[in-house]
Amino acid sequence: MGKDSKMIRLEDVHKSFGDLEVLKGINLHVKEGEKLVIIGPSGSGKSTLIRCMNYLEEPTSGKVYVHNHLMSRKRRAFINKIHSSMVFQQFNLYPHLTVLENLTLAPMKLKKISKAEAEQTAMTYLKRVGLEEKANVYPTTLSGGQQQRIAIARALTMQNRVIFFDEPTSALDPEMVQEVLDVMIELSHEKNFTMVVVTHEMGFAREVADRIVFVDGGRILEEGTPEHFFTNPENERTKAFLSKIIR
Amino acid sequence: MSELMGSLKMISNGSVLMYILKGVGFTIGIAFFAVVLGIIIGTVLALARNYCTKGWLNIFRYIATAYIEVFRNTPLMLWIFIGLVFFPSIEFSAEFTKFFELSRTEMAVLFKAIVALVLFTSSVIAEIVRGGLNSIPKGQFEAAYSQGFNFFQTLILIVLPQTFKNIVPTLLSQVITTIKDTSYIANIAIAELMGKTFQLIQIAPRYTGFTTQNVSDVFVLCGLACVIYFAINFTLSCVVRHMQKPKKRTAPAAAN
Repeated sequence: MGKDSKMIRLEDVHKSFGDLEVLKGINLHVKEGEKLVIIGPSGSGKSTLIRCMNYLEEPTSGKVYVHNHLMSRKRRAFINKIHSSMVFQQFNLYPHLTVLENLTLAPMKLKKISKAEAEQTAMTYLKRVGLEEKANVYPTTLSGGQQQRIAIARALTMQNRVIFFDEPTSALDPEMVQEVLDVMIELSHEKNFTMVVVTHEMGFAREVADRIVFVDGGRILEEGTPEHFFTNPENERTKAFLSKIIR
Repeated sequence: MSELMGSLKMISNGSVLMYILKGVGFTIGIAFFAVVLGIIIGTVLALARNYCTKGWLNIFRYIATAYIEVFRNTPLMLWIFIGLVFFPSIEFSAEFTKFFELSRTEMAVLFKAIVALVLFTSSVIAEIVRGGLNSIPKGQFEAAYSQGFNFFQTLILIVLPQTFKNIVPTLLSQVITTIKDTSYIANIAIAELMGKTFQLIQIAPRYTGFTTQNVSDVFVLCGLACVIYFAINFTLSCVVRHMQKPKKRTAPAAAN
């Protein structure tokens, strides 16, 4: 496949739900260690786009490569296991397990790591998101912001180098948004860590992104550095979107 | 009045009480067996009906759907009679039937009735399990897939544990229903509580000292059966109600 540093590569990805074509040919490369932020109005296909990267949505046509592995339905479990993790809008913690068990389940079952070691790793990441004292409670007893920080810790415990964030702060009460963003900003300082983030948080995008991609109508309309984006966007739709979202 | 005294004397007879108690044992044993087997078969049926949606696997979905709908929408009584006539007779070993104090013919008939009960119960439980499966948010599957679990790992580690936790009260209600359903078996076999009660009414004169059956025999024996069914099932429904009570959170939701 070559020795490029493309962590994720999408080639002419189309996705339709019935008659509705949500993605209309996406070509996108994400480099290793890059912090890519995807923005766009609701219904633009940005969530579908990020979900195609780990095959939670199977593209109707086109190819997805993760670390030079061609994605397929059959290989999804294997590739996600060793390459990527995801943080969801609705947290999606496992409610029947304690916080600690949420963090140790996948490493123990999928990477065959011993319980002691998995728990030790889990505690390290819980400390990192500032919630080590919540290890033995059930997720439903926690606030949204806390649950999302746990979800981030859970994504980290697999020690994969790519993390997808699908609107991680959209379901949170306003006062809890910052605590989650802080954790994400702290993560972004790691050089070899690839982050793909779908978000409406423009401040975050500006601070963290190496590159911003603007999606609308199932197509990538514009991409560039945050500076380019926020100072002189070229596309009319981008301008209109940004003028609405930044006040 | 003396009739009633005679009837009461009958149920204070140790061997009669023992006979009834064994009936209770059968009732609970059969219901337990039917529910356990029903949960296993029902879960397989529910999974097939819900998730066999790709290509040739659809065959399993059609089979499961047909099974569930046929047994759920026809009376148990019907299947007990159909079973009696059409199900194969199983030859049980003498030791096995002796353990249950039944003749080999009685055991064969009882077995057919139990098979009918299992078929019926499993179809009802399949729909309970399916309801539980459908109540699990799609996000649980997605979280698991994003971590690298495959479909079966996701089911076993994440979806089914939550499903069963959610449906425990409904399943216990089904246990109550099944305990009552075992009484249909009295139509073809004498083993469980209702069958033994009918049998005792038939042979009451041996114990009451009268030459014929009296209404009071029916009153006392059916009354006793009623009390026993009620005691078992009311206890269970109290447990169900207790479980359904919204639990107080052990740790208050911290909002910081």
